[in-house]
Amino acid sequence: MSLIEQLPVLPIIIPLVAAPFCLIIPNGRIAYFYAIAISALTFLSCIGLLHGVAAGGTISYYLGDWAPPLGIEYRIDLANALVLTLISGVAALVIPASYPSIAAEANPKQIPLFYGAMLICMLGLLGVTITGDAFNVFVFLEISSLATYALVALGGRADRRALTASFNYLVMGTLGATFFVIGLGLLYQATGTLNMADIRVQLLENGTNRMVEAGYAFIIIGMGLKAAMFPMHLWLPNAYTYAPSAVSAFIAAASTKVAVYVLIRFTFSVVGADFDFVSAMLSYVLMPLALAGMFFASLVAVFQTDVKRMLAYSSVGQIGYMLLGISLGTEAGLQASIIHIFNHGLMKAALFLSVACVMLRLGVHTVDGFNGLAKRMPFTAAAFIFAGLSLVGVPLTVGFVSKWYLLQAAFEADRAWIAFLIVASSLIAVVYVGRIIELILLREPPEDGPLFRDVDGNPVREAPMVMLVPMWILVLANVYFGLRTDVTADLAGRAAASLIGGQ
Amino acid sequence: MGTTQPDFFAALLGNPAVLLTLAAGAAAFLGPGRESVRKAVMLAALAGSFLFTINLGLGTWGNLTVFGETITLLRIDPLARIFAIVFHIAAALNIIYAWHEKDRAQDFASLAYPAAALGGVTAGDLLTLFVWWEIAAITSVLLVWAPGTRATFLAGMRYLVIQVLSGTLLLAGVVLLYRETGSLAFNAIGLHHEDGSLHIAGLVMFLAFGIKSAFPLFHNWVQDAYPKSTLTGTIILAIFTTKLAVASLARAFPGEEALIYIGAVMTIFPIFFALIENDLRKVLCYSINNQVGFMVCAIGFGAINGAAGYAFGNIIFEGLLFMALGAAVYRTGTSLATELGGLYRTMPKTMILCIIGALSISAFPGTLGFVTKGIIIDAAGEAHMFWIWLTLLFASAGVLEHAGIKIPFFTFFAHDSGKRPDDAPVHMLIAMSIAASMCIGLGLFPGLLYGLMPDQEAISHYHPYTAYHIVEQLQLLVWATIAFGVLKVMKWYPAEVPSTNLDADWFYRVPGRGLLMWASAATAAIWGLLWKSFQARVMNVLARVYSVHGPEGNLARAWPIGFMALAVAAMLAFALVFALLA
Repeated sequence: MSLIEQLPVLPIIIPLVAAPFCLIIPNGRIAYFYAIAISALTFLSCIGLLHGVAAGGTISYYLGDWAPPLGIEYRIDLANALVLTLISGVAALVIPASYPSIAAEANPKQIPLFYGAMLICMLGLLGVTITGDAFNVFVFLEISSLATYALVALGGRADRRALTASFNYLVMGTLGATFFVIGLGLLYQATGTLNMADIRVQLLENGTNRMVEAGYAFIIIGMGLKAAMFPMHLWLPNAYTYAPSAVSAFIAAASTKVAVYVLIRFTFSVVGADFDFVSAMLSYVLMPLALAGMFFASLVAVFQTDVKRMLAYSSVGQIGYMLLGISLGTEAGLQASIIHIFNHGLMKAALFLSVACVMLRLGVHTVDGFNGLAKRMPFTAAAFIFAGLSLVGVPLTVGFVSKWYLLQAAFEADRAWIAFLIVASSLIAVVYVGRIIELILLREPPEDGPLFRDVDGNPVREAPMVMLVPMWILVLANVYFGLRTDVTADLAGRAAASLIGGQ
Repeated sequence: MGTTQPDFFAALLGNPAVLLTLAAGAAAFLGPGRESVRKAVMLAALAGSFLFTINLGLGTWGNLTVFGETITLLRIDPLARIFAIVFHIAAALNIIYAWHEKDRAQDFASLAYPAAALGGVTAGDLLTLFVWWEIAAITSVLLVWAPGTRATFLAGMRYLVIQVLSGTLLLAGVVLLYRETGSLAFNAIGLHHEDGSLHIAGLVMFLAFGIKSAFPLFHNWVQDAYPKSTLTGTIILAIFTTKLAVASLARAFPGEEALIYIGAVMTIFPIFFALIENDLRKVLCYSINNQVGFMVCAIGFGAINGAAGYAFGNIIFEGLLFMALGAAVYRTGTSLATELGGLYRTMPKTMILCIIGALSISAFPGTLGFVTKGIIIDAAGEAHMFWIWLTLLFASAGVLEHAGIKIPFFTFFAHDSGKRPDDAPVHMLIAMSIAASMCIGLGLFPGLLYGLMPDQEAISHYHPYTAYHIVEQLQLLVWATIAFGVLKVMKWYPAEVPSTNLDADWFYRVPGRGLLMWASAATAAIWGLLWKSFQARVMNVLARVYSVHGPEGNLARAWPIGFMALAVAAMLAFALVFALLA
């Protein structure tokens, strides 16, 4: 038994074993370095997995050597390898950047707990993605959600509203998980198995029935809630706004994406888009909601006075693009969706980290803090601008790649009107991002008042290096993957082909 | 699967026109004090792009499927190749000629604008053509604006309006054609369907090309804008826009009978204006119309060789005439016939080069004009259209009068203006000498040019130096020269008087100006009204959007948890309905 053979289980085992030790680490700084090491190791093992899958095809790993359908199988193909890399990569960048920010925003005694929760949250998200067992998805989902509720509540020291936000999130998240597990129960009842591939086999053999159809509807709604599908996104703006900045950066980049991934997995390789009821759901439920989210949530973002809240609503709109790609039901649409999952993770992580920098220095995340930012914190400001342009979809950034493939997919599906709507909704993004960029570049920094000096009463300085470096790595990734599209587009294309082809 | 984005960028970077445009942009960063470096970079870019284009050979590149449509960014067939080659040569000559010019914007335009024209002639589909068509309009207006006066600004705006109108028509034609055929391919289009009915899409595009090639009644923008540009700007402008239109006409409407008559009128009418015009730059601008008329006629006869060949030749020798006149203007500061004259004493080199250009444009045997124009006259004869043939002969004589004799005569001879300027600067002499040696070299050895002709089958049967051709042409030239002499001696030739430029422009300026002022005031009023109602509407919509989406709006406010759960339940019901009913 070499280590390489056990590679598929490493992204789970490493943080699972490591996280509880955070409880006994007395010092926040030690916990910080410990978490960096663990997240980096996890990231490396995910890169290894991606490499292995890209070269050698789907990896199947039997947990404890129990063969499926009885045992739990970890099944890694390109689609989830890409999401695994995104999650662990964002964690490996956000955790190093988090210390100054969390030290300023949370109770110092809770910092080791914070890192423990971060690791568990990452572990849960990775587990949801990696597993080939439907019930295991639910288990990991709950693990990550519970950790997220705790992480959001950590913002309670800076702003008490974090507590209600966290509580609402808990209720809604539990509701979503319940729907999901009801859906699973129905599928299990109909097929007698919980292994994803096996469910598919059984469905193909025995055909569908009411139970499967209802089960699928429950899963879509449960996961839609987790993914913040419009209009079930109401928990999200508060959770993202009042969570500690570093937590926002991580969950905005990773957690909703995982829910979208689960939607893709259940739609295309567990149930299968070749069933009439699935394609009807895609066209009549998913597509209208995706389009509605693209417009309504983006419009709400335009009028926000809180930048984190604006980004949160923008996320709801962006989720709309991912769901739109899925709802086209074509290989090109799926490819566009997977590309956007990855790319949007890169943009939002960079954007929320730059807000974290502003929060660290000025103690606010409202638009006022961004007045004349280019003069006060040039690197943070530039990072926000680049990532913001990427969010709009300016050429040479990943945002453009996403829009490009989504537009192509819309045209290929002979739905030019959707392409028109995509472009129209992108224009709304121009407004809400442009608004902040205008503040950053053209306004003068305040001459007096509460934002004249930083939180400690000193002249405002640039954010510390530990925050700038990870943030700029993300910004450069936005540009790099905007130029080297062959990496993401090719992998996502193959992932989409295998998801659709597996039908 | 559609085109991936790297394919798209790779295709863009494999297109000489795109590379030249990028080079123009990069060169524009070389600021004051580094003009020579900038010119050298521009020349190097042209040389590189030329070699690249030649090395590509014939074929298509950049075949992309973008948003479900097939486009071809680059197509080099023999027709595109001959234009691409001469565009490169002309752009390079202009850069050398304008070596003294320090204006950054002009330098940018003098590379980006030829690049756009190059992109247009090598466009493999209509959408690509349209894009380059518009870029050519926008980059060229920089040259009209270059002198920076109010008059040139207004002329530039008028020019831009006409060019954009042409672009809009082209786009309309493209859309109509796409609806008809479902394809964006750029091939022969024709004005009529097979059953003889009018082809609307074809007609719209015909008008678009017609405006750019300055068909009669659409021609005024040439005389309006071109002479107002700078010395070097006029030369560049004179070359590319109309020739791009000719290349497009040759591709889309070969053998279209209407073009024969349009072309014939184009060759004739400018002659009269040119004869009485006092400003020699304007004379040459009229000459552009006349010369393009020959090409249009050739396209009408289906003699694509004639059109392409004459375009090639014309770019060289008309450019040479413009350059020689430009050198005189550069030294004396005027282009009016009344103020020039007698410059041969101190500008002998320029004078000789100018005469070579004049001989060439008059199609004197042994020059580039002779070996290219003969194809067109021959085609007219073979088509057995006596009147057209006669018109073209008459127009040829007219070319001799206004371009072949008038330009050199009034510039370098005629009455002595008393001016004793230095000969042209070295860089101008170099550019002119290259053009002049091409005029004579290709005139004596036309094989090289003929090898580039689009229709090799037809050109192999054409021999320029037969007794018939030479005698015909010499008769024409001799009689026309005698006519000029007689008119001059009898004082019947319109003398060079400063006030003559009233004729064409009067209708244009006095009643036309009134009409224009009225039209612009009316347009402004209508626009104002529209904007007002539009603005009110926008404000209204924004207010409504804000009331729903604003921070206190229903979509943005924080909702109690019960409501959230209710929303989820509603969604579940919604989803279940579709799942179970489907």
